Amino acid sequence: MIESLADALFLVLQFERLIYLAAGVMLGLMLGILPGVGGVAGMALLLPFTFGMDPIAAFAFMLGLSSVAATSDTIPAVLFGVPGTQASQATVIDGHAMARKGEAGRALAAAYVSSVIGGLFGAFLLALTIPILRPVMLYIGSPELLACSIFGISMVAVLAGSSPLRGLGVAGFGILLSMIGSDPQGGDLRWTLGTTYLYDGLPLLPIALGLFALPELCDLAIRRVAIASKTRHEVREGMLRGAQDALRNWWLILRCSGIGAALGAMPGLGSSIIDWFAYGFAARNVKGARESFGTGDVRGVIAPESANNAATSGALVPTIAFGVPGSASMAILLGAFLIHGLQPGPAMLTTNLSITYSMVWSVAIANILGAGVCFAMSGQMAKIATLRYTLIMPMILSIVYLGAFQGNRDWGDLFALLAFGVLGWVMKSLRWPRPPLILGFVLGAIIERYLFISIARYSYEWLLRPAVLVLLLAAVVMVLRPFIGEIIERRRSGAQGLPFHAPTFHLTDIFTGLLVVAVGWMVFEAAGFSDKARLAPLSVGIATFAVLVLSLLNQVLRRPGRAAAVGVAGGAVRKEVHLDLVEDYQGLSVGTVVLRGSIFFGWMLAFMALMALIGLIPTVFLFIVAYMRLENREPWKLVLPIALGTTTFIYVVFDVFLTIPWPSTVLGTLVPALKSLPSI
Amino acid sequence: MSLLKYMKSVAAVAAIALPGAVSAQSVEEFYSGKTLELYIGYSVGGGYDTYARVIASHMGKHIPGNPTIVATNMPGAGSLRLANWLYEAAPRDGSVIGTIARAAPFEPLLQNEAATFDAAKFNYIGNANTEYSLCAAMSDADISNIDDLRAKELLVGGTGAASDPNKQANVANTALGTKMKIIDGYPGGNDIVLAMERGEVMGRCGWSWSTIKATKADLLESGKIKLLLQFAAKSHPELTEVPLVTDIAETDEAKGMLNFIIAPQEMGRPYVAPPGVPQDRVDALRKAFMDTMQDPEFLKAAAEAGLEITPSDGEQLQQIVESVYATDPAVIAKVIEATN
Repeated sequence: MIESLADALFLVLQFERLIYLAAGVMLGLMLGILPGVGGVAGMALLLPFTFGMDPIAAFAFMLGLSSVAATSDTIPAVLFGVPGTQASQATVIDGHAMARKGEAGRALAAAYVSSVIGGLFGAFLLALTIPILRPVMLYIGSPELLACSIFGISMVAVLAGSSPLRGLGVAGFGILLSMIGSDPQGGDLRWTLGTTYLYDGLPLLPIALGLFALPELCDLAIRRVAIASKTRHEVREGMLRGAQDALRNWWLILRCSGIGAALGAMPGLGSSIIDWFAYGFAARNVKGARESFGTGDVRGVIAPESANNAATSGALVPTIAFGVPGSASMAILLGAFLIHGLQPGPAMLTTNLSITYSMVWSVAIANILGAGVCFAMSGQMAKIATLRYTLIMPMILSIVYLGAFQGNRDWGDLFALLAFGVLGWVMKSLRWPRPPLILGFVLGAIIERYLFISIARYSYEWLLRPAVLVLLLAAVVMVLRPFIGEIIERRRSGAQGLPFHAPTFHLTDIFTGLLVVAVGWMVFEAAGFSDKARLAPLSVGIATFAVLVLSLLNQVLRRPGRAAAVGVAGGAVRKEVHLDLVEDYQGLSVGTVVLRGSIFFGWMLAFMALMALIGLIPTVFLFIVAYMRLENREPWKLVLPIALGTTTFIYVVFDVFLTIPWPSTVLGTLVPALKSLPSI
Repeated sequence: MSLLKYMKSVAAVAAIALPGAVSAQSVEEFYSGKTLELYIGYSVGGGYDTYARVIASHMGKHIPGNPTIVATNMPGAGSLRLANWLYEAAPRDGSVIGTIARAAPFEPLLQNEAATFDAAKFNYIGNANTEYSLCAAMSDADISNIDDLRAKELLVGGTGAASDPNKQANVANTALGTKMKIIDGYPGGNDIVLAMERGEVMGRCGWSWSTIKATKADLLESGKIKLLLQFAAKSHPELTEVPLVTDIAETDEAKGMLNFIIAPQEMGRPYVAPPGVPQDRVDALRKAFMDTMQDPEFLKAAAEAGLEITPSDGEQLQQIVESVYATDPAVIAKVIEATN
């Protein structure tokens, strides 16, 4: 084994292959910054160019690209609260909070050092386990995948902080959303509203960008100031602090990258929830995390960043050993495998072992290169956070639009972005936990699929498999803990039963009410599906409905502040735990906040209307000009270069390189000759 | 670069404004300096995508006027999204073609509400290969021929009612009396094979021969799988010992059902142009497609990518579609009953 590792290293270290690897890394870094584009689009784009390369160079190139997309995606996550890829959603919470406090440089540096250590440790784990990969993978059947996903959902209990009911309700809503589209047995179309857009279900991209990116941008537009008023550290000092933070938490990094590699190896779980797993793990196990997470704790950055880089190594496992790609980028890599005449399977672990190890080395070297480049830039990057909001907002917003459009490349993506943007902002403002929705959405579909397979294949005996038992018990403990904790605490403080008071109604209860109505409607519709297609939606739907109603009653009858004020029994007010960004509008009245929020979403509607009229690329130009002039009267000498530069950049990346199929426009229909213009 | 494009479009507006300038346009004039967009109904990396990209990089030089071909993915609803778009919204001037699922043209017959097109109206351009689809079992299952399949239950994996693995197993059960039990809901064919390797299911249908050779030759060589049934119009030269389902069928009705399921295999990975494209352009595209299939450079590239090239021309595909649409409605009703 040592020998083939050494051989493989020499294979990768050939000059030409290193150049390809470095080229892949640079491209991956650039694409990772663009939300929605990420490594997948890059690999898709470059796959044809690898046909002519030798296999090792081709894989070095593609792995270079895909491994570092999870490194540079931290930049928009920290600076703007916009996750660059789905792997950096959790980074937004504490990373962006740090940027707001003027610690962007520190957050970025800590992220990169964790990325590189996590990535290397992931590669190390892969190299170490290669001899036993196949037997281990063969042990993981559908019941184990199912149990693992259920355990994942139970992570909600941690991520929901001290509002477990809301967390469960939101997670249930996420699961219901994941069941939109054709059911796994392909019999029924569920909640597709008659569109083909929803046939394959909602894509994750617009949801993730809507839930996490838009609320940050909206609040930035409401505050009307720079993201960070000042940088707290000098460039060099911030980088140093960040690096020290990461090194001091080396044990957390190793554990999280272990989680990342293990989950990455589970086909289907994918990178979109690995960061939340790591974040939830850290929130539970790190000292003091329950108080400081969400307010800019550097450990909330370190945990997800170390996990998502290790995930690439993990994702290689099912791809190499069985030809089952664990993620979209691995599906493309598998395509490259076949084109180069390689077959996944036992041969990759015996006769072609040197190629497999060369891939491990490529991941390792790519991580060092990628994080090195980003680390070197992190101090300077941090300064972007101090720019006026009107300078960066229109640019970022345009790119978020294009990113969301990568979901299904359909108008539906933009409607979904807007809908989830509003939902995300309301949830953030009313302090509803957002991560459970993503967890439910990603895991819900997997759970339904493998529940059917497990029951059809093993009937109820699937529950008796040892790994399943352990995981399910752990999940139960995880979910019940906060409830039991509350009861114990109340007993200890001498209170009898639950403290109720006369019902009070707040305007914000409307949101819970709306959720109840939405879920109720989905349940009502689900009753009309065929037997197989409605079983899961009905059971999840009814449970969610019940939880949300309970939550509403809880709000109306047990409002925490009120309970203390009127002196209802006990009155022991515990400190609220909320693992999410909290907005402080610095004395803006609610009216102003709502008005400015509406203006923000009004801009978004205007963007979409204009796009329908004249196409996306001309819209970007006009939108940037209009936003900068109308919101803040920016001087033309700033407006024009920014608008032109962004438009050209978007044209080159999305039209020339990615050849996005643009939706048809009113202008293009009226004057067909104009269709030769990009995106019209 | 964008300036150039703007100037070109100004020129194009001028060309339209001058009456008579368009009408006499030859195929060569039309395609000259243009891009031809080739849409792929699936995402990057799969079989449809690989074939399309290799074809895209060689077909341009065989079309009069030598347009640049740009390959673009428009995945969704098992390529029905692309099929609907090509039918309803795509430009009908020959500047857009697409590659859709082999079974997509027959979805309207199966009363799939998401398929909103009239398949006979597409202009079929051709395909690069014919598919040979198989039912196979792990050797441990101790099932080695049709008699065993009829005598014993075989657990096979499924990927949803409308997919080949399910359709073939269901129709074989009805038409041939086999006893395959479908464990349904796997995300994809690869996942079924993994489940086979770990003994969760013992077999699968709808497994294309080219895929087996490209991805699971090890299972074949080590004798871990047995090939049981062949879903194809005629035997693949390498599979002469695997029985064709139509040869086993005893009644006309059974044969009719099986033929309905086999037709998509003949479609291979079809390339289609929207309805209403001028006939001279359709003819030019069909000819260019078949010329590409004989182009030594293309064949070399295809061989390097491991793609089998056994083309059919557009007229053949059009005939297959028409003959399937002429199937006795009673047989189709049987197929619908068997597959749901």
